[in-house]
Amino acid sequence: MMDQLPPGTPQNERPESELLHAQTSDGASAAMSHREYVTQLFTKYRASLQRYLTRLVRPEDAAELVQETYFRLLRHESMVRLEAMARAFLFQTATNLARDHRRRGVVRRSDQHVALDDLEIAQEHQGPEQQLVGEQILAQIERAIADLPADTRTVFLLHRFRDLSYPEIAKLMNLSTRSVARKMADALERLSSVVEATL
Amino acid sequence: MKSFLRWRIREQGAWGWFARLRSGRVDERVDEAWSKWLAEDVAHARAYENTELAWELSAELKGRPKLEALLRDLEAQFPADTRRAAAQASPVRGPLAVFGQSWRLAGLAAVALLCVGVVTFFMLNRVSVTDYTTEIGEQRTITLPDNSQVLLNTATHVRVTYSRSLRRIDLLSGEALFQVQKDARRPFEVHALNGVTTAVGTEFDVQVNGASAAVSVLVGTVKVEGTAGDPKGQTAQVTLGQAVDYTAAGAVSAVRAADANRIRAWQAHRVVYTDVALAAALQDYNRYLRVPIVVGDPSLAARHVNGVFRIGDQTAFIHALEEGLHVKAVATGSEIVLQKP
Repeated sequence: MMDQLPPGTPQNERPESELLHAQTSDGASAAMSHREYVTQLFTKYRASLQRYLTRLVRPEDAAELVQETYFRLLRHESMVRLEAMARAFLFQTATNLARDHRRRGVVRRSDQHVALDDLEIAQEHQGPEQQLVGEQILAQIERAIADLPADTRTVFLLHRFRDLSYPEIAKLMNLSTRSVARKMADALERLSSVVEATL
Repeated sequence: MKSFLRWRIREQGAWGWFARLRSGRVDERVDEAWSKWLAEDVAHARAYENTELAWELSAELKGRPKLEALLRDLEAQFPADTRRAAAQASPVRGPLAVFGQSWRLAGLAAVALLCVGVVTFFMLNRVSVTDYTTEIGEQRTITLPDNSQVLLNTATHVRVTYSRSLRRIDLLSGEALFQVQKDARRPFEVHALNGVTTAVGTEFDVQVNGASAAVSVLVGTVKVEGTAGDPKGQTAQVTLGQAVDYTAAGAVSAVRAADANRIRAWQAHRVVYTDVALAAALQDYNRYLRVPIVVGDPSLAARHVNGVFRIGDQTAFIHALEEGLHVKAVATGSEIVLQKP
């Protein structure tokens, strides 16, 4: 299942070379249907997405979520067709689905052998299960942010949690936009290594 | 040593690329280079997944005490005014904005004209993305390419994305009133929090208030989906005179009566309060004020306020409260406190 696209997608009918051709030739690109575009995107990023999701949920659930992400994107006809954006959207959608999945997991596990009352309590009292990953990992990421050099941390927090753009941050902190980007990369380096070490 | 360097460059690639794609200095050429880099080596893809995961997981920290403490330190360092001033000087931000800068020449005139907003054209799809903001207490009308109009209320930020097949507004904060031109082939979508309101030709108001959003319809009918793109998500049909609320989690309320008077009033720079509790009236009126009015004595909060007040005429409003409720307003510098005389 996980190695196949969902049945009935154009992938089954059209050779990959034709899809890629449709992407690179200007005229064909505009004419490419939404379904074709999404399918092409999946052909390219499916393996990556599967790996990504496997770190958040069990492998068999990850395969299911990949499929669900695909259908979700099919419905989202207003996607802007630029690759960096499309990929970011793809992974964001999958991340949200993984979050929902973990939420549902609480209920599913509970209803195996508990009464309805307990089930309702389980639904209300979701606690850490609402989170994408365990408490320990979050605590480590939080600590890593706190431990960043002051300027790097400020750049990261302003961008991540206050939605400021690099030029805005540059102006506030009296830095060049380029060094804001560099500090952003530094922060991401630290956090990525925490993720790599713990997940 | 050589392999260490290689590793270094390769790894730095992921963080560097991720940071760069959010920088506001990316065009199609960079997009292509990034895509090529990503496909070059599975190690690139893996490193990029790590960075993406780190980015997503960091969002999960919202509300945790340690992070909130760091953010409070930040607020102390950069007061809200500084933040808004900076935001106006450089309006482009967010995921769409990253593709903007190299097309900026075309937008310069627009920037000068609007003070805010950079028009971005993607030749491929002719997608334009423009940001508009208002300051606290400010209101403004923007006319979209199809002649639909958006009236922005105080402290509001919208991002407008238009293409041949798409009319999309992201209401990132605040409140806006939409007068939509009919175009059956191009539904008009307003995204706020996680929900989306879809209209064809109509007039409606969307207000984001913390973790919930309210959609009120003045003309026509709209469809409200609590969770954008979720087939199982809750939806509601909302027609003229009606309103619904939805939460960030996607729960949509039952249809209720819209407060059309309130919306028509703000359109005319006025607020209308009919038997509204003082606390609620202040919460509403404070949206227009840099120095908020607060209740000093809890017993005052439940008193009722009636009247029509001009937005921007704070003095008259405070005076009316003093007269009508027999209270005294005392300015402390950071707020205006209503006390019993």
